[in-house]
Amino acid sequence: MLTIADSTDADLARAVAARGPGSAEAAESELYRRFAPRVRLYGLRHLRDEDAARDLVQQVMLVTIEKLRGGSVRDVDQIASFVLGVSRSMAKDLKRLERRREKLLEAFTVPDIVEAPMGDTTLDVGRLETCLARLAERERMVVLLTFYAERTSGEVGKELGVKDGNVRVIRHRAIERLRTCMTSGEVVQ
Amino acid sequence: MMPRCQAPISDGTLLDYWAHDLADGDETGHVEEHLFACGDCSARLHRLAALGTGLATLVRQGRVSGIVSRTLLNRMQRDGLHIRMYSLVPGETVPCAVFPGDDLIVTALRADFSAVEAVTLSVTGPGDSPFSQLDNVPVSRPDGEVLWATSAAVVRQMSSMRLQLTLASAGATRTELGRYVLEHSASTPPS
Repeated sequence: MLTIADSTDADLARAVAARGPGSAEAAESELYRRFAPRVRLYGLRHLRDEDAARDLVQQVMLVTIEKLRGGSVRDVDQIASFVLGVSRSMAKDLKRLERRREKLLEAFTVPDIVEAPMGDTTLDVGRLETCLARLAERERMVVLLTFYAERTSGEVGKELGVKDGNVRVIRHRAIERLRTCMTSGEVVQ
Repeated sequence: MMPRCQAPISDGTLLDYWAHDLADGDETGHVEEHLFACGDCSARLHRLAALGTGLATLVRQGRVSGIVSRTLLNRMQRDGLHIRMYSLVPGETVPCAVFPGDDLIVTALRADFSAVEAVTLSVTGPGDSPFSQLDNVPVSRPDGEVLWATSAAVVRQMSSMRLQLTLASAGATRTELGRYVLEHSASTPPS
């Protein structure tokens, strides 16, 4: 017998769509469990802010479940595409709101207080510090410019005097080294 | 169990996607379609994103050492890090110390980088004992400086000492570009 965990995304969407509000709780929960992390990642990449990404998850999942319950998702077999579409549209709205908020902040306040976001709880940051220190200078600069300063390979290349294709190679190699170091404690030379 | 991904996105593509290095439109769109439909690849992206978040957290806590670029430095200052800077030209000796509240100590070493693409920075302590060696450091010609960052937490542990810094061109023909001296005073004098 198939369980909720064995069901495909489309099975779950169909289960929610076929039954009335509140009668497919397990399917709704599983849909949420699967899609919330994907929407969060989408939000993090496009909005570059953990709080905004969290807001996006809430809004997107609410709309998705409501639309499924109301039978207004045209093709439940393509539920992933539907969630992506809602994410795109809502992220655009959030970006617009953020731009307006930034303009207001620039006009009325002194923007010098930046609250440090919470660190990732699942990662051993102490270990990562050691691994980062073991990278070559060029690799460390590339990963920090990418992940902290949020620069593209073209921008990093311009800054370091390296072609953007080379930046991508250096970045890929650096991430592999960090991963190896994080999991095995070794640095690939 | 959900079926495993039959056509996983490569690590390189995931990395390019996260770093905004894929072309907007079809290329990004295809990756996003796949990520929303695939728990496996989405989980791999989650691990990559967590690594990126961890790296950013380290910087925000001033827990980075080594060479930084002007862009990184500006971003750190914008994020509210307390950065103490010492700027030296070749031949100069500068007294330095770390103060309460400092997150990062950055030493800006100026030199003529017009003929070099990368340099080696050698730092020696008392009795020429090796303190740090940073090889193949890319240099920014327009800025004419190399920025050496050390976590304030690390510097707080150091006793008073004289540090000699030497910049030389990287590669086979090692040409010295400048020598600099930092006279470091310990945060708390030994009792």
